[in-house]
Amino acid sequence: MEDGRDLFERRLSREDLLKLAAATGGAGLVAGRAGLAEAARAQLAAESGRLQVLDWAGYGNDGGQSMFAAYVKAHPKNKPQFSYMTNEADALAKIHAGAKADLFRPYVGWVKYFATSGLVQPWNPKLITNFKHLNSFMVKAGQYQGKQYGIPDDWGFDAILYRSDKVKPKARSWGLLFDERYKGKIAWYDDITMIQMAGLYLGFKDTWNQTDAQLKKSQNLLKSKKHLVKLFWSSETNLWEAFGSGEVWIAYAWPNDWVQMKKKGLKVVYMKPKEKPLAWVGMFMLLKGSSRPKLAHAYVNAWSSAKSGKWLEDNYGYGHANTLARPSSSDLLRALQLTNPKAVTLPNAYLDRDIPRRALYAKAWEEVKAS
Amino acid sequence: MLPIAIVAAYSLNVYSLLPGEHGFTLDGWRAFIHSSVYLGLFWKSVKMSLIVSVAVVALAYPLAYYLALSGTKRKYVLLLVLIAPFLTSYLLRVLAWKVILGNEGVLNTFLFWTGLRSHDHPISQLLYSRFAVMLVLAYVWLPFVALPIFVSLESLDRRLLEAATDLGASRWQAFLRVTLPLSLPGVAAGFLFVFIPTLGEFVTPSLVGGTSGYMYGNQIVDLFATGFPDWETGSVLAIFLLGVVTVLTAAFSRFLQGRQVAGT
Repeated sequence: MEDGRDLFERRLSREDLLKLAAATGGAGLVAGRAGLAEAARAQLAAESGRLQVLDWAGYGNDGGQSMFAAYVKAHPKNKPQFSYMTNEADALAKIHAGAKADLFRPYVGWVKYFATSGLVQPWNPKLITNFKHLNSFMVKAGQYQGKQYGIPDDWGFDAILYRSDKVKPKARSWGLLFDERYKGKIAWYDDITMIQMAGLYLGFKDTWNQTDAQLKKSQNLLKSKKHLVKLFWSSETNLWEAFGSGEVWIAYAWPNDWVQMKKKGLKVVYMKPKEKPLAWVGMFMLLKGSSRPKLAHAYVNAWSSAKSGKWLEDNYGYGHANTLARPSSSDLLRALQLTNPKAVTLPNAYLDRDIPRRALYAKAWEEVKAS
Repeated sequence: MLPIAIVAAYSLNVYSLLPGEHGFTLDGWRAFIHSSVYLGLFWKSVKMSLIVSVAVVALAYPLAYYLALSGTKRKYVLLLVLIAPFLTSYLLRVLAWKVILGNEGVLNTFLFWTGLRSHDHPISQLLYSRFAVMLVLAYVWLPFVALPIFVSLESLDRRLLEAATDLGASRWQAFLRVTLPLSLPGVAAGFLFVFIPTLGEFVTPSLVGGTSGYMYGNQIVDLFATGFPDWETGSVLAIFLLGVVTVLTAAFSRFLQGRQVAGT
């Protein structure tokens, strides 16, 4: 709350005060300092214009309307206007290039990076009524130095999906993605999480902070096994197309991919590797230059409701941080382990976290693709 | 020129996307020149583009020859048919090949129907491969090559062919000694029309290329916008590509000018 108050008071610049005084013909000055501050706060409370949201495709007016319907109903004059990010690196570039968004959605591994970048400001959880229903582990993952920089919403796992009628794994391990027997039938995810996954497979203690030698080993493992891989998928539809048509039998995948392939009538298993799956959580972040912080809070509140959560689970197959949200599909409930509030953390999975040397990881992954 | 200058400045770290200390350095270029990975990928893309360009020229030439010199009255109708796919979007034309080449695609379904392949053993090397990238690129760029060759053949002075025949040349000799040399500017232009854009291509490989069809253009895009933005290296790769293309274009122009001078 302190931060929220700071924010509004900081915004009462000298220029604002002068404008206000001029507009009220000096009435504010007559009314005294307290009255003036109140009047100014009221002016700022009436945030104007459309809320600018930088989000992933599918989360805006291109299919995700149900997630923020409550916001649109309450703020018809401030409907969200979307610009899209393809990933956090893309968002980072857009923000640095001057994109004027109020909020955006990086994933949990980027919380520390953005919190320390000076580009974002903490949320005021008291302005988000649904906040109390959000999963406490995910909420904690959205904090940095005690401040709530990220509001958790969508989440899921990275594990292994395979066709049980075609594939006989030797072990419950990430190693299935490197299995020579299935050359040309494997799909990897086009993301630097492949480096973390390789580190887990190789047994590194802290796969998010690999030493130079470890990073080289992870990279070499991926380079040496790349010839087995048919494609690197970057969107789920891309994966569903290839997996559904039998182009690939084994994939680095999310829970919803298992549900979708099962719906298609394929015999599929979503395997949790013994090295543990990775878990990811989408985190709404409030940009520092936002001129509509209250509207941004209202928008995130709409996204955080149990109703929105259920819709997201039913329609997109991702988990939702609201612990009251439950999908209609029992398969999805099982795949996401929604009855276990600690599903995204140990001993079940590793929640994705900050990568101190992210640029090096990215370079290593790019070189794997180029090799 | 300004955007190119800005990219060049990024490649020399004069500009930097992220705040912090930065200044002129050749480190990005040094790393690139010593990187077997990036240069290897560039060479792979050059080979793919060369194969596509040569194949397309070889396919387009007979087409253009027929349209220009066969004397058919429907040549403009046929030309329209050739460029008809351009009425649809580039993306759609590439995606259509996914429908044809996939495991459950038109080609495999036909093979299942004829009994040449069983449902359990489709030809799965068609899609998400280097072959798929080259096939789709060849399809996409064929009309771009056929048109300049058609124009150069269309403007050919037919009296030269008559003269060759009068002097005892066979049709084949007349083609080799008269038609082909005079149509070479069109062939060279067509070759360049394909080679330059395919060398930096990234849409087609990202849709049908899979792991093995990954090209130099994809790497440039990925360096700019995935993982962690590395605009310095991305700019180095982009400027290098631009340099190579400029040199190639200049060399071809010189070659064509030389031929024109020799011809006059």
